Amino acid sequence: MSSTTTPTADYAGVPLPEVQIITNRLLSAETTEKVLNALDVISGIRQINMTGESLPKTINSGPGKGLANNHSERRIIHVGGQEVELRYLVGGFYIELEVEDEAELDAKLEEIKAACNSTIEHGYTLQVGRYSKYRPSLHDYRSA
Amino acid sequence: MAYKRQFYPGSTTPAKNRRRYMDPKVKLKKLRDVSMDDVVRIMGHRNPGEDYKSIHPPIEEGKEPDCPIRKLVVPIEGAKHGDRVRYIQFTDSVYFAPISPYQRAWMYLSRYRGVDTGTLSGRQIIEVRERDLEVMAKEMIDNETFDPALTGIRGATVHGHACRLDEHGLMFDGWQRYVWDDEKKEVVYVKDQVAIPLDRRISVGKPAAMSDLKKRTTIFRADGVDMRDDKEVTMYGLRIHKLRTLGGYQPWTVKGE
Repeated sequence: MSSTTTPTADYAGVPLPEVQIITNRLLSAETTEKVLNALDVISGIRQINMTGESLPKTINSGPGKGLANNHSERRIIHVGGQEVELRYLVGGFYIELEVEDEAELDAKLEEIKAACNSTIEHGYTLQVGRYSKYRPSLHDYRSA
Repeated sequence: MAYKRQFYPGSTTPAKNRRRYMDPKVKLKKLRDVSMDDVVRIMGHRNPGEDYKSIHPPIEEGKEPDCPIRKLVVPIEGAKHGDRVRYIQFTDSVYFAPISPYQRAWMYLSRYRGVDTGTLSGRQIIEVRERDLEVMAKEMIDNETFDPALTGIRGATVHGHACRLDEHGLMFDGWQRYVWDDEKKEVVYVKDQVAIPLDRRISVGKPAAMSDLKKRTTIFRADGVDMRDDKEVTMYGLRIHKLRTLGGYQPWTVKGE
């Protein structure tokens, strides 16, 4: 998932904790917007990555190949005053937290849970760990 | 000694449903009535009212070669008229859809003549002469093996059967062939099976409740009826596995089976 206006955050270099939220249902664009806006006000979030099921822009095979897909959930949402182009039906969030210690982490987790509980109707599972790279590897140096 | 035809072992609900769907003597319940014209529109092979295109002259006209098998087999209607072979393909969600692809194959072959069917992990295609296909497709959309939310009519790009459902409980479809009508609480098709927009919205009715689907499904699931809880089904699976394995590498050890 990428924003149209801002670049993705740089690698932190250290394995900061990452909160994985997997929703029980795939979220509509409207709900995704609500979740992100509820998370946006929490301080100490370094970046949020999302994952889900891809929604193609055009019909990519069959006799209708090339026609516009016009999926109602593939659209621009507004998060914290910025436009974000949604290309997925979102089903997971990875929230990287910039915290100093466990107590601070627990406090942030409570805030994140509160934000999710108020916006995600059908429930979710939440885990803390490290699910993505935090420093450059060979992949980052390949051409094109 | 005349054998009585058997369909599937087991005493649990999914096992009983498998038997019901396969047994051609059981008339499946009709739950909705989608008009024939709308079924034709969703399939997208021809426009409603349009003539059937043919690939060979009617059998009665043509000079068929002298062949004992041709004399033996009674042709289905479409074959008599020389119709094209067309298809319909269903995708069945793993979340307790009324039927799943493999049982569809069993059901099709047990109930219909003149069909060619193919099973894939999440979808089941059926290829038949066009006019027979339309009758079968209507039956399959109208009857209890179809659920508006958990069964999809998808000719291509079927991805979604193993995805989580969306917030309305609909199976994921990247091409959004059907949408949720929040006012009527119904599922409405807006594109045909290969995602070409339809001229009109076609309602396929209200999705069933999960409690109802759990009674209707043929799917064994750990959070529904676990296959291991059905002793007879488990033993049947193990027996086939054992015989296939032994038959493959030590056929002489298979004795008295």
